[in-house]
Amino acid sequence: MKLSRQFLKGSTAPLENDSALLLDVHRRGVPGRERMRRFRDEDEVDLLIVGCGAGGAVLAQRLARAGWRIVVLERGPFWDPDTDWVSDEEGSHDLYWTDKRIIGGSDPVELGKNNSGHGVGGSMVHYAGYTPRFHPSDFETHTRDGVGSDWPLSYWDLKPHYERVERELPVAGQHWPWGDPHSYPHGPHPICGAAERAWTGARAHGIEMRVGPVAITNGVFGNRPHCIYRGFCLQGCKVNAKASPLVTHVPDAIAHGVEIRSGSMAQQIELDAANGQATGVSYVEVETGRGRFQRAAVVAVCGYSIESPRLLLHSTSKRFPRGLANANDQVGRYVMVQGATQVAGRFPELLRMYKAPPPELSSEDFYETDASRGFARGFSIQTVSPLPIGWAEHVLADGHRGAALREYMRDYNHWAVLGSLCELLPLPDNRVTLAAENDQFGMPVARFDYTQCDNDRANIAFAKKTMHAIWDTAGAQDVLTIDRYAHLVGGCRMGQDAESSVIDADHRVWGTPNLLICDGSVMPTQGSANPALTIMALASRLGERLSTKRIQAGKGDHERSIARVRAGRLSEEDR
Amino acid sequence: MTIDFTRPDRLPKVRGDNGADAAELPRQRRGITPQMHGRYPDYDCLANAEHWDQLTRKLVVDRVERVPELRFFSNVEAATLSAFCDVALAQDAEPRVPVLAFVDQKLFAGRLDGYQYADMPDDRDTWRHVARGLDQTARASGAPSYADAARTLQASIVDDFAEGSLDGAAWSELDLKHAWSVVMRSVLAAFYSHPWAWNEIGFGGPAYPRGYARLGIGLSETWEGHEAVATDPASDPETHGPG
Repeated sequence: MKLSRQFLKGSTAPLENDSALLLDVHRRGVPGRERMRRFRDEDEVDLLIVGCGAGGAVLAQRLARAGWRIVVLERGPFWDPDTDWVSDEEGSHDLYWTDKRIIGGSDPVELGKNNSGHGVGGSMVHYAGYTPRFHPSDFETHTRDGVGSDWPLSYWDLKPHYERVERELPVAGQHWPWGDPHSYPHGPHPICGAAERAWTGARAHGIEMRVGPVAITNGVFGNRPHCIYRGFCLQGCKVNAKASPLVTHVPDAIAHGVEIRSGSMAQQIELDAANGQATGVSYVEVETGRGRFQRAAVVAVCGYSIESPRLLLHSTSKRFPRGLANANDQVGRYVMVQGATQVAGRFPELLRMYKAPPPELSSEDFYETDASRGFARGFSIQTVSPLPIGWAEHVLADGHRGAALREYMRDYNHWAVLGSLCELLPLPDNRVTLAAENDQFGMPVARFDYTQCDNDRANIAFAKKTMHAIWDTAGAQDVLTIDRYAHLVGGCRMGQDAESSVIDADHRVWGTPNLLICDGSVMPTQGSANPALTIMALASRLGERLSTKRIQAGKGDHERSIARVRAGRLSEEDR
Repeated sequence: MTIDFTRPDRLPKVRGDNGADAAELPRQRRGITPQMHGRYPDYDCLANAEHWDQLTRKLVVDRVERVPELRFFSNVEAATLSAFCDVALAQDAEPRVPVLAFVDQKLFAGRLDGYQYADMPDDRDTWRHVARGLDQTARASGAPSYADAARTLQASIVDDFAEGSLDGAAWSELDLKHAWSVVMRSVLAAFYSHPWAWNEIGFGGPAYPRGYARLGIGLSETWEGHEAVATDPASDPETHGPG
C-alpha cells in the first residue's frame, strides 16, 4: 500500500469526494446547480448551516455523504468564475464582504479584501492559497509557553483530517520539515524571479525556505486544470486551479442532495422556549428583502470570526438576553489576527513578481518559542507578490506620495516581497460586539476592537528585523516596509468548560447542544500558519464524528437531539 | 541620454529626496502612460487586449474609453479633489488618468471597502469633509481655493495632511491619519487599475486565459514590456543592432 501510494504520487484521488470529477472540463461554474435539491421552509432539515466557506462547505459535504438532509444559507452569491469574476485587481471588489463594519481599538484591523469573504466558497475564494498545517505545539501553548490557551483537542486528533483535506484540495509543495514533518500529494510549483531572490537571500542568511504548501493543482486532478501562473490568486481563480470550497467540496455536496441557498442573510437563530433547543434560523432574502424562517433539527453557524459572533449576539431571547451562547460573556472574545508586516527588497534584475502564484516559499524556522528572542511563540516568513494596487499600498505605507510614490511604482518589476505571519496572542478584549448602527436589513453591524499586547509588539519587531536581515544578506539595493495584519480566527473559541469558552471539543455550544459552531472562530490559538486548512480539517473531523455517531455518552440533551435527527431521517426513509 | 535601471540611483530613499526627475525618463513611443513617460517606452498592455477574456477586456478597456461622469461630488468638491488627486499622484501634465471619476463612481454606487474606523464618519462623508478641509486650509493661507492655489501650496497642504498636521473646523471631524488612509486607498486603486499606469510600470495586465510560462529572474514573454536599456543603441550596435 505504502509503495503503491508512492508510485501514484501526483495522481491520487481523494477519498469520498468526487468534486474534481463533477466539474466541467470547459466551464468553471459548478454543474448541477439547476438540478439542486430544494427544501421547503417548513421541512425540518437535519442540519441548517449558516455560511458556505471553509467550515460550512466541508461540513455539508461530509454529512451529505452520510445521508443528512442539509440546507446552507449564504449571504453572498453562488459564484460562476466564468461569468462573475474578472482577471483584475480593482474589478474583484464583489468578492469581499463589504457590508459596513466598525473597527476600533488602539490597533484597528482593516477588514474587507484583507480577510473577509462573501459568496459560496467564502474567503478561500480570494485567499492566497497557502495551506500549512498547524504545529503540534499550537494546541497547547498554555502548557508549553504559558501564553494563550490549550485546545480541548490535539494535533493528533486533527492529523488524519489534515491528510484527507490535503488530498482533496490538493496541496502542492516540497517535503515539509517543520512541526510534524510530512509530504504533500502534489510536487512543488515553479517559482518566479522574485521568489528566487528571496530564496537565495534566506539561504545565505542561514534560513531554510521551502516551496509551498499551496492548494493549487500541479498535475492531473480530475477536471481541475493546471495552474497558468497568471498571478491573480487573490482575485478569485478563474482557472479553477486554486482550491476553494466552491470547487473542492460544493460540487460533491450538491450531488449528495445539499441545497445551497445563496443570497440569504441569516439574522437570528430561533429557540424553543420550552427546552432551549435551536429550532431554525430567521433570514432575509437579499434580493427581495423578504423575511423567511427555515426549520432545522440542528443548526451549525459557520460565518467566521466577525459574522458568527454577530449572529449569536443578535440572537437574544428571554433565556439568553445577552445573546445566544453568551451566558458567560464569551462570545466575540479572543479574536486574533496575525501580524503580517511585509518587507520588500530591490534588485538590479527584472523580477516581475506579478507572475506565478503570489504564495510560493515559506519558512517555519521561527515558528516555535525561543526564549532568547524575548517573547513567547513565533512567526513564519512567506513570499507575497502584490499586484500594482497592493504594491501602491505598500509604497504609501512606507511614507511616500506624489513623485516619490510614482518612482517606486515605476520600479515595481525590480522588487521582491517577504511577508511575516506573527502569532499574536488571544486576548479577551480583542472582541466583536454589536455597534449602534444597523445594516440595510435592520440588523446591528459588527464592531471589532483590536489592541496588541507587549508580546505581540516584540514578535512583530523581531520578524521585521529578520526580514530586513534577509534582504541585507541578499544585497537588496533599497527596502520598503508595510505594517499590516492578515487572517482572522477566534471569537467563539472551543474549550474545556462553559466559563472560558463558547463550545466544547465537538463544536457544540455549551447549554444549547443542537447548535454547532464550525469555522475559524472556534480556534483558541492561531499559530503562525494560514488558517484555511485547519478550518477545513476541523470541519472534516466534526463531520466524521457526527456521521459515525462518535459524539455520544453522557452529553444528555445533545445526544438525544442527534439521535432524534438520525431517527427522524431513518424513519422517513423507511416510509 | 540613457539611464541604468539596474542601479537604484533614481529611488527616493537612496537619494534622500523625492526621486529623480520624471522628465528624464524615456518618452512613451507606443500606447499611453500618464504624462507620457515611463520605464517601458515600447510597451502597450492594451495591445494584448484581444488575448483577454471578454469580461475582463470590457472592464479594462472601459476605463479608458468610457470615463464615468461625476454623480457623487458637487462641482466645487470635484475641482478641489481633482487638484488633490493630481498632487497626491504627481500628475502634473496631460495625459492624466481621470482618478476622481472612478472614485466618484464607486462612492455613488456605495461600493465601500467593508470597514469604517470607529472615530470616523462613513467614507462618503469623509471625502466631503476632506474637500471642505482642503479649501479651508488653502484659504487660510491666502489662496482663493485649493484648486486655484499655487502648486507649492497645494503640495505643502497634502504633505501636512499625510503627516497629520492640519487644523481647522472641517478637519476636526476626522482622525487625519485614518482620513489619509481612506482617501489614498481609493486614489491608488483608481490610478493603478488604469492600463496607462500599467504601461508606465511594466505590469503584464490580466493575462487570462493565456497566463505565463517564463517565470525566472530576467525572463519574460515576448509580449511583456521591456525596460528601456541602459546602453545607447547608437553607440553599441554589437548588442542592440543599429536601430
